[in-house]
Amino acid sequence: MEYRSSRITSKYLRSRKIPSTACSGCGLGMNHKIVVQAVDELGLEVADIVWGTSIGCAGRQTFATWKGDGFAGTHGRAYAIARGLRIALPPEKKIILTVGDGDAFGIGLMHLIHAARSNADMTVIVNDNLGYQSTGGQYGWTTPQGSHTDSSPYGMFEHNLMSEGMDVLEILKGAGATFLARHVAMDGARAVETVKRGILNRGFSLIHMPYPCPTNFGSRELGSRNQVNIYRWIEEQAAPLGQEKENTVWATGIWHDASNSRPEFHEMVHDTVEKIRRTGTL
Amino acid sequence: MKRFLETGNFAITEGAILAGCRFFSGYPITPATELAEAMSLRLPQVGGFYLQAEDECAAMHMCIGASLGGMKAMTATSGPGFILYADPYGWALGCETPLVVLNSGRVGPVSGITGAPGQGEFYLMRYPTQGGNFETICLAPSTAQECMAMTVEAFYLSERFRMPVSVLADQLITDGFEDISVPENDDEMKEMGLRVWPRKVCQGPEFYPYTDELDIPPVVLGHNTGGICSDWTPTVEGYDIEEVEAHHKHAYRLIYKVRNNRHLFNHLYEKKFMDDDPDLVVVSYGTPSRVVNTAVIKAREKGLKVGSLRLINLWPFPDEHFTRKTKYLSVELNWDGELVREVQRATPKDSEVHFLGTCGDLPTTPDLIEAFENLLKNEPLSRKGWVLEEW
Ligand SMILES: Cc1ncc(C[n+]2csc(CCOP(=O)(O)OP(=O)(O)O)c2C)c(N)n1
Ligand code: SF4
Ligand SMILES: [Mg+2]
Repeated sequence: MEYRSSRITSKYLRSRKIPSTACSGCGLGMNHKIVVQAVDELGLEVADIVWGTSIGCAGRQTFATWKGDGFAGTHGRAYAIARGLRIALPPEKKIILTVGDGDAFGIGLMHLIHAARSNADMTVIVNDNLGYQSTGGQYGWTTPQGSHTDSSPYGMFEHNLMSEGMDVLEILKGAGATFLARHVAMDGARAVETVKRGILNRGFSLIHMPYPCPTNFGSRELGSRNQVNIYRWIEEQAAPLGQEKENTVWATGIWHDASNSRPEFHEMVHDTVEKIRRTGTL
Repeated sequence: MKRFLETGNFAITEGAILAGCRFFSGYPITPATELAEAMSLRLPQVGGFYLQAEDECAAMHMCIGASLGGMKAMTATSGPGFILYADPYGWALGCETPLVVLNSGRVGPVSGITGAPGQGEFYLMRYPTQGGNFETICLAPSTAQECMAMTVEAFYLSERFRMPVSVLADQLITDGFEDISVPENDDEMKEMGLRVWPRKVCQGPEFYPYTDELDIPPVVLGHNTGGICSDWTPTVEGYDIEEVEAHHKHAYRLIYKVRNNRHLFNHLYEKKFMDDDPDLVVVSYGTPSRVVNTAVIKAREKGLKVGSLRLINLWPFPDEHFTRKTKYLSVELNWDGELVREVQRATPKDSEVHFLGTCGDLPTTPDLIEAFENLLKNEPLSRKGWVLEEW
């Protein structure tokens, strides 16, 4: 993988927001770079994409970084906004959303499920810092079992959407998502390839991307803000799908690929309306 | 002109289509369900989109998305659903996204009585979301025909002010059948006083200028203008900023674009027998106004010097109608008295302001005339039903 950071930065990102104001050592920039690199490798232009975000570290740090058009929704609602936008935008415009884990799997989960159900063409990148980090570090719905956070001082004991047999990606698969994958921020080129395939799917794609938060998660769970510790901690507990070890929390790779297997939302709705308009019936 | 014997919901649907609305999202709730149903039937016939949402919060967010994509969009609900608009309403106010929002009032709190009219959301229409630092525009029709007109007007205002504009109706107007005329061409629309403003696209780079000016087109995504919008305080370009001065300027725009341009909608009211300095001014809006107007005509026949002021432009509250020191009576479909508080605030010091409430059912003409007579004789209002033993 050729190092092209500065070229793609000036091509796709706004100098006002890059570098971001994220904490030093934050892993969010790695995820962000993976996505922009995927866009670049697909040969997409700034005008081809409308970029939406959530709030929180994941949302605010990526909001208005994209040189083109963009929005940030209120907490958890970017998926509903994106569905309305999907109807109004021409089908060839891509929608990419960079959001947080609390946003997608907590407050926004119902909207996310309905976006998957309708197979609305969008690529949702869930930047998972293992909890609610911009509010200071509370556990979320994909925080590994037992983790110590500001709101789980005795260790996170509830079952959540990463507990044994309860993967959030299963929920989304059942809801009709046509592309689902998981990568940790350190997956680099492998993750870029996956994101490319997600973007190419004409339908609902979601890539779950855990990344290191040294400031809050790292400091509470591992006892220090030392970036190396949290990077290692995540890397050691991630393994490619099929090569899981006993301690694997995040099995990485393409999880479910039904790309282009069923009608996409915009096309289906537009075709249907056009038929009713012409013939008065379906 | 085509004439129909139809519901207010039908009239609203036709009004929306005339105004150029091609996107509706809603969630079933009495008495706004029939509006959603009418939209699902009519919109595809004109190439428009009806999308049922997973809840009202999603419905309004989908409308936001459609509006951001360049379409005119609308959502409709009743009290329990309106509460779920609080989140997107704030976003649309802050990002200055044109939208039309209809609330058909029923009896609350919560589900209350589902199939009866209420006016418990007078203040909610003013403060539909958190945070303050904004003005809202709300129009309240009192007939099905006016529902159509105010829907068209709401779209017009939402484009020029670039903000969500609400229409406050109630169960009787939206569900009731009435004679409705629907214009069939531009001339007929003009004749009926219906005006339409096209959607335009802000070209930037100043997407959020600090000004009270009208007619700045909204941010529309997908045209590669570099348009950005978010829930944070924006800089002029739309970047998120944590700065008191920038926030002050943004708030100035949200408040004063409305306050300083009220001439666009403050002609929306109806006065009856108000030219001879009446001894009692009856203030109302929505369906109760229809009984009030009848009662005032009858009272005049009896020689009572009573006038009727029917508000259509509810918010910003039209203080200019309340400069005279006289007796006022606010007639509302709630037991707690909402409009009356605003009348109290707007009238000159020491004006006598009274309240007559019913809920779920309209007041009767004899009840109103009795109230007028009592007030004009300086006798207290007999409030039937206020003491439990009277039930
Ligand atoms: C409706 C609402 N509830 C709560 C908040 C407070 N809040 C701000 S950021 C945030 C954290 C969101 O978590 P996540 O999506 O995981 O983002 P992170 O900060 O962890 O990247 C929360 C809860 C809010 N802004 N809006
Ligand atoms: S709190 Fe954590 S996730 Fe947020 S910017 Fe800092 S390091 Fe990154
Ligand atoms: Mg998070």
